[in-house]
Amino acid sequence: MSFNVMQYILVFIVTFIVAIDQFSFLQSLYQPIVVGPVVGAILGDMNTGLIVGGTYQLITIGSMPIGGAQPPNAVIGGIMATVFAIAQNTVPAAAVGMAVPFALLGQYAVTTTFTIMSPLMSKADQYAAKADVKGITKINYISMGILGTLFGVVVMVAMAAGVASSDAIINFAANNSWVMAGLAVAGVMMRYVGFAILMKIMLSGELWGFYFMGFAFATILGAVKSLQGPALLILAMIGLAIAIYDFQTNTRMRDLTSGGGDDDGI
Amino acid sequence: MESNLYKNLTPAQQLDKRTLNKMVWRSCFLQASFNYERMQAAGWLYSILPGLEKIHTDKDDLAASMGHNLEFFNTHPFLVTFIMGIVLSLEQQKADIPTIRAVRVAAMGPLGGIGDALFWLTLVPIAAGFTANMAISGNWFAPFLFLIIFNVVQFVVRYVLMHKSYELGTQAIDVFTKNAKEFTRAASILGVFIVGALVSNYGGTTLRIAVDLGGGEYIIIQEVLDGVIPKLIPLILTMMIYFLVKKHNWTPTKCIALLIVIGLVGTFFGIWAGDSGVVDADGNSIPGGYTPVVRWYELPTPPAD
Repeated sequence: MSFNVMQYILVFIVTFIVAIDQFSFLQSLYQPIVVGPVVGAILGDMNTGLIVGGTYQLITIGSMPIGGAQPPNAVIGGIMATVFAIAQNTVPAAAVGMAVPFALLGQYAVTTTFTIMSPLMSKADQYAAKADVKGITKINYISMGILGTLFGVVVMVAMAAGVASSDAIINFAANNSWVMAGLAVAGVMMRYVGFAILMKIMLSGELWGFYFMGFAFATILGAVKSLQGPALLILAMIGLAIAIYDFQTNTRMRDLTSGGGDDDGI
Repeated sequence: MESNLYKNLTPAQQLDKRTLNKMVWRSCFLQASFNYERMQAAGWLYSILPGLEKIHTDKDDLAASMGHNLEFFNTHPFLVTFIMGIVLSLEQQKADIPTIRAVRVAAMGPLGGIGDALFWLTLVPIAAGFTANMAISGNWFAPFLFLIIFNVVQFVVRYVLMHKSYELGTQAIDVFTKNAKEFTRAASILGVFIVGALVSNYGGTTLRIAVDLGGGEYIIIQEVLDGVIPKLIPLILTMMIYFLVKKHNWTPTKCIALLIVIGLVGTFFGIWAGDSGVVDADGNSIPGGYTPVVRWYELPTPPAD
């Protein structure tokens, strides 16, 4: 399946916008669950885009930009997964696996942009010294323009290359089904990296118990079919109750030991 | 010359609601020119500029204020209006520049963990997890629902923090720093609890190995593991990655490369359960999802219809 010029232009525009949105603006348009159906609609199969977007969304839940770390890029990964699923008619999980190298490419595009943008700061200092308000605004627009264009170009190249090689990929997949299954399995595993990084940032030694408690509660709820939808909401309520209790206990203990609490009245 | 004091030390007029609202909107562009040198500095300055312009009518004061507000800045993009309100109230009071800087720097750190816990660990997993499953079952309303939930929460948080923290002014920073340690700990507990839950909730890795006992009897290894504790494999894999990231400073990219190798080696030997999506000429999928290169066990034959 090949795409026409109009489709390339529209995908470029969508990429440009969501590349900026991943850091600025609504910071939610870029999520695969939104991008998938939009790109799907452009490429002529909104339904596949919706399903791929949802599938990719579940993977990215574990790899959010926590603590400033850059995860494999959800923007390029989501767009390319949709392109592959529609152009090559693969199942969503396998399409997501094929998109992984491109998500890594996107991660490099982000770190590159963040590096080349650093010298702009000396320009910003000059504007500030002159109290040039418009200059600061200009810096922000230039930076967003660079990021959007860079992402657009990466996606255009990846789309052209991915579509050109589609027959070869389909034949390869039929003869080496273990490779496609392996990519799909690895695609599911990638969320563990996101979890591990969250743990690295937040998990001090004394909090291990809470980690296993969350795991245990989720496993119990997971066994109840009718609760699979609201499971995370229920878990958040449990977690919140524990956190609030801990906060209250600690602030009260601190007030008592520091001789405070004189406003207690008893 | 650099001065620690503004020229005009008369407190400026209170900022009106319209200016505050304008800055709530601008705060969405905090990371517009993110870079490794100053991080969100230029976006931060852009966000508070409408307020600074109203406060500093003297051009030299405006330049001085813009200068120190262009220093390194990095906080949580969704909670930034909290700091904006406090800093603006200090600017409006014409506090000395080192104080404004100290408050700004003190506030930007703790918000990071809280924001991550609230947005990336609670709101997104709940909103996206729930709507992603809707999308997978073909419900076109899913992306709209996700956008509505996320953005309503986002803008309510931005709006309320902006107006409240500006109103409370320096008091807000007192209330916050007084309980900062306890607050950060409680937020971490919630975050860690949720991560543990996600490992179980989203851990989808299973084995497909079966041991043929003859006579149509099989031992399914995954069922044996589930008897020990369900989701054991996701738990072990997460702990393994955590160990590599924490003790050996592995980068996410390196971990992902390792997982791709583990995935491929596993399917090479037919260990992982997985679906290649490959169908034959008649449209039938491959039994067990894929054909491993090394076949060392027999799959149970599915019951004939």
